[in-house]
Amino acid sequence: MVYQLNNVSVNYSRQTALRNVSCTMEEGKWISVIGQTGAGKSTFVQVLKGLIPHIDGDYLIDQQPVKRDAKGQLKVIPEIGFVFQYPEHQLFETTVFKELAFAPKQQGMSNQQITKSISKILPQLGLSEDILPLAPFQLSGGLKRRVAIASVLMMNPKLLIVDEPTAGLDPISKVALLQLLKKWQQQVNRTLIFVSHQMEDVAEYSDEVIVFHEGCLIGQLDTRTLFLEQSHLLEKIGLSLPESVQLLKLVEELTGEKIQVSSCREQEIFEKVIPVWKARRLQNV
Amino acid sequence: MSDTILIGQYMETNSVFHRLDPRTKILSLFIIMLSFLMLKTATSFTIVSLFVFGILMLSKIPFPVFMKGLKPILFILTFTFVYNVLLTKGNVIWSWSFIDVTAEGLQNGVRFVWRIILLVLLASILTLTTKPLELASGLEKLLAPLSKFHVPVEQFSLMIVIAIRFIPTILQELDRIILAQKARGHDIVHLPLVKRMLAYIPILIPLLFTTIQRAEQLTYAIDARAYGKGKGRTAYKLLQFQQIDYVVGMIAVLFVITVIIIRLGGL
Amino acid sequence: MLTFDHVHFYYKKGQTIINDVNFTIQAGEFVSIVGANGSGKSTVAKLIDGLLLPKKGTVKFQQLDTTNPDELMKIHQQVGFVFQNPEDQFITTTVMDEVLFGLQNIRVPREEMRGRVDTALRAVQMEEYLEAMPHQLSGGQKQRVAIAAILAMQPKMIIFDEATSMLDPQGRKQVLSIMHELHDQGMTIIHITHHMEEVLSAERILLIHEGHLEFDGDPFVFFETMSVEKYQLQLPFAVRLRKTLQLDPPFTVNWKEGIRSQWSIN
Repeated sequence: MVYQLNNVSVNYSRQTALRNVSCTMEEGKWISVIGQTGAGKSTFVQVLKGLIPHIDGDYLIDQQPVKRDAKGQLKVIPEIGFVFQYPEHQLFETTVFKELAFAPKQQGMSNQQITKSISKILPQLGLSEDILPLAPFQLSGGLKRRVAIASVLMMNPKLLIVDEPTAGLDPISKVALLQLLKKWQQQVNRTLIFVSHQMEDVAEYSDEVIVFHEGCLIGQLDTRTLFLEQSHLLEKIGLSLPESVQLLKLVEELTGEKIQVSSCREQEIFEKVIPVWKARRLQNV
Repeated sequence: MSDTILIGQYMETNSVFHRLDPRTKILSLFIIMLSFLMLKTATSFTIVSLFVFGILMLSKIPFPVFMKGLKPILFILTFTFVYNVLLTKGNVIWSWSFIDVTAEGLQNGVRFVWRIILLVLLASILTLTTKPLELASGLEKLLAPLSKFHVPVEQFSLMIVIAIRFIPTILQELDRIILAQKARGHDIVHLPLVKRMLAYIPILIPLLFTTIQRAEQLTYAIDARAYGKGKGRTAYKLLQFQQIDYVVGMIAVLFVITVIIIRLGGL
Repeated sequence: MLTFDHVHFYYKKGQTIINDVNFTIQAGEFVSIVGANGSGKSTVAKLIDGLLLPKKGTVKFQQLDTTNPDELMKIHQQVGFVFQNPEDQFITTTVMDEVLFGLQNIRVPREEMRGRVDTALRAVQMEEYLEAMPHQLSGGQKQRVAIAAILAMQPKMIIFDEATSMLDPQGRKQVLSIMHELHDQGMTIIHITHHMEEVLSAERILLIHEGHLEFDGDPFVFFETMSVEKYQLQLPFAVRLRKTLQLDPPFTVNWKEGIRSQWSIN
């Protein structure tokens, strides 16, 4: 499925305004959305999900305009999954099982089907069946987040939006969650929209990056191009580069040598930088 | 949602009332409101209404703001009116099957509703022209004598402050939860009434949990800043009566006396 | 200055939240307490300030015992606490009242108050927000007000309990730089975090794991000798780099300057 916004603006009293946003999101990609606090990232993803009733401009899914009601207002788009920053806000059932079954039940799925898809989704998120009878509110922060994501995946979304999913998690839980999301995204070959402040994570996992600044979309580029060739775009709006990219640029600057990398993943950068480093005998002072 | 609640909706218009000591406002409004219980005749209602209208004008607050404040009590007003009209015995002026409408009932209904409107308007003058914190410290000072009888007046005042501070926070949280639930396909706006009531459960449970967590954290925060059960804290803002306070106080007392005279005179 | 002597803590019998923890912190130190989610590091922080009381053992701050209610009040005065969630620690309705709150509690004379409020807000660059209300501030600004409210009380030690974890990068940078400024001026700082980049500049690291104190020492030794992944933590970028390049220790990165300032070509 291809999601497309044409000249979309939002002037909604309690939202950050969006100005003339146009972009196309293709299938099967990890797309990160970055920008300062209040730049319009959250409003943008809420528009995608149809959570903001009134928008100016066009929203197309597979070339088809999204359905609106008689007043021209958008409705929530059920095929899109949306996980908010605080899992506490969307959990309310007494057990994890009921939590996972909630949405499918509303869609009229049979109990048998529900049990089947639960046993399919739990391992995808590294969860065991033992947690099904537990109360969601008793779980640790990392588990709560995974349950919240699982409850959204139960609806088999065509596109998954995750808004700052790792805030407050310890480093290993964070990496584990991101890797699970990456695995899911590649396995089902769907698109994942990842809103984040952490440039290291953006560089490590995304295929494409959308940059927001003061309500405008100022760039949609593939990750490597953004961080290695268009990094002035980030400096202009006060966002920092991932440390591995900073290292790469530093070594290039010190040696005057161009280092070719195909991605911004830390491991690849390390692999390409080390030979140069050793050959030129860089030293720390 | 956040727009219809008047608590803590202070408005800076630089009127006489803004300059008054909160204690003057609380006490004056209190005795004036009490005197409303004595209103009976059309004349007395007219005089008092004119007086209240004058106060509203003096506050320099735009009239629509007051109207908005009345909106949430519309249901109570309607209920009071219908209740009085239907259940007061007297001269039947119109009837249909088992329903009898009496002249006295109509009169009573109008009287009750009008009285409530006057009370609410006056009360909103207090919240619109007084900063929440001033209100709390005014109350604290007024209730201070009670602390001799081991009434925890200072804690009570802190409680009010915290309540006022957290109203916008909790409303924000409510908005976020509604959004999160809407994203899960849980839209409460388009449901019939009974179902809508049930549909609030998924919203109230997270709100309850996060509020309890918040309260727990807040008790730590209060302890950490050496709040010692409210004993003998020093004050920064001192309340002091000015000339204008005495004038306004006098007017309030005169008003109440007038109302009493009107009532006794049977006007 | 601060002593934990065989401290145990649990909510219910049979549970172990904190188990036999011992350490001493000297005045003027910058100590980071690290550990995974749920390791007990926040409990340690609350035990220091007497927000929780030990079930066994003693916690003493400058000879004051947290279990003695009169001494506890003095501890609250001298130890400041910045909480994780900026939303939950704002008690009153404006920035000014927030800073005044503590001053009123410790009975600062009225004439002295305004001066203390202004100095404290200037130290965190929030003096323009005197009349602002909490819901008008960003997370980072709220944390700075929280710090000002503590500074006005003139404490000897400040505990930052994951105070940067819910902030955006900008807010995090500001709070961290205030922490280091205060430390340079002689304040004892306890910084609780699981962001390893932030602890490189600490003078000492305490690792809490499942309620035990597993490590107490120099950050350099910590990253060299401990397999941090075992504790759900990650080596900071600079250390990962050093280990991959098999460079000679010592090797740290100044958090203010980043890696740029550290290298030259030979």
